[in-house]
Amino acid sequence: MSEWFRVFKQGLSIENPLTVLMIGLCATLAVSTQFQNALFMGLAVIFVLTMSNVLISLFRKAIPSEVRIPIFIVIIAAFVTIVDLVMKAFVPGVYAVLGIWIPLIVVNCIILGRAEAFAYVNGVGLSIADGLGMGIGYSTVIVLLAFVRELFGTGHIVWFEGTLISLPSGYAPPSLLLLFPGAFLVFAFMIVGARWINERFEARKEAAACRP
Amino acid sequence: MKNALRLVVPVLVTCIVAAAGLAVTYKVTEPKIAEQDRLAEERSLQAVLPDATFTCLESSRIQDDIDAAAGPVDVLDTFHAAIDGKHAGWAVKVASRGYGGPMVVVIGLDTSGSVSGVTILSHNETPGLGTKVITDEWFLEQFPTLEAGFTDADVRNLDAISGTTKSSNGVRNGVAAAGRVYTEVLSGLGEGGFE
Repeated sequence: MSEWFRVFKQGLSIENPLTVLMIGLCATLAVSTQFQNALFMGLAVIFVLTMSNVLISLFRKAIPSEVRIPIFIVIIAAFVTIVDLVMKAFVPGVYAVLGIWIPLIVVNCIILGRAEAFAYVNGVGLSIADGLGMGIGYSTVIVLLAFVRELFGTGHIVWFEGTLISLPSGYAPPSLLLLFPGAFLVFAFMIVGARWINERFEARKEAAACRP
Repeated sequence: MKNALRLVVPVLVTCIVAAAGLAVTYKVTEPKIAEQDRLAEERSLQAVLPDATFTCLESSRIQDDIDAAAGPVDVLDTFHAAIDGKHAGWAVKVASRGYGGPMVVVIGLDTSGSVSGVTILSHNETPGLGTKVITDEWFLEQFPTLEAGFTDADVRNLDAISGTTKSSNGVRNGVAAAGRVYTEVLSGLGEGGFE
């Protein structure tokens, strides 16, 4: 069980797909202009990542290594299409904005990367931990990024029809934050923050290990 | 041969299972998606011409004329609007190029050909920037000031939102195209000629 939590925590911290491994950035930077959309994007990634990890690790002994990539892609594409159809049917407002980025999860390297590097060589339990950890790690970063960009780029956070938070009306939002340079700037600060947190934890762990 | 089978069978099985799973999901979500699309269209039609009933024009002969009149803008559907059985105007659904791809714009025209309302049915513009064409309400509200017989130049004279030029132009080009469709095709159809 402690192994399960170790793998789960890795996705959130020292192996975070966005701030540490830095994969799957394209969709992240593009989608993180709105808090609400980023949240749904995160949920979609958690679902696809966990489900594809489970299936691939379940059948990993039956998947010949020569054709593993096509099989991974078919499995991932199937789950992405399921998410795509379900979102279209139940949250059309969100789907209208996320649009092409949902189908593009298929080629998101986080998912194929975890299938190849983790699920294909580990058991089902650990693969679930990896999928959830990586998925939640991804979602935390993209949601935080979108929160900062939307709040300071437009002056308020929108949730479906309503407004969650509004900055005082005197605030003139710089639209730079909503454009790609803003995405890179905010993301750079998030990487700094993530490194700082990770290093502090590492230092604490080392200090604990040195104690007699 | 045996080696080939060892590779082919797993891929084949994966594909069949995936296809079956998708077929089931599609069957379940399809009516729901069609319903959502219909609702969205109905909502925007009602917004541009309230209380009217809409019938889609389905004559291919007219469609050619409409396409010729619209020029670079795609006319997806043209609706005849009636209130209590009486001719009340038209609604034109166009796909016009914005910043992030086609924007589907619905333009309502009253019997004289002046704009009664404009809504944006779907788009892929930058949130917070291109989406100002929807959230800055004055932008869409200036179109109903266009009078009957308005020309492309009249539409170009309307204000665009600064920093949102491409999206503003997408909407304006759509409205201009609807104006041309009215002058060149719909106005000639007359009240009963829409069948």
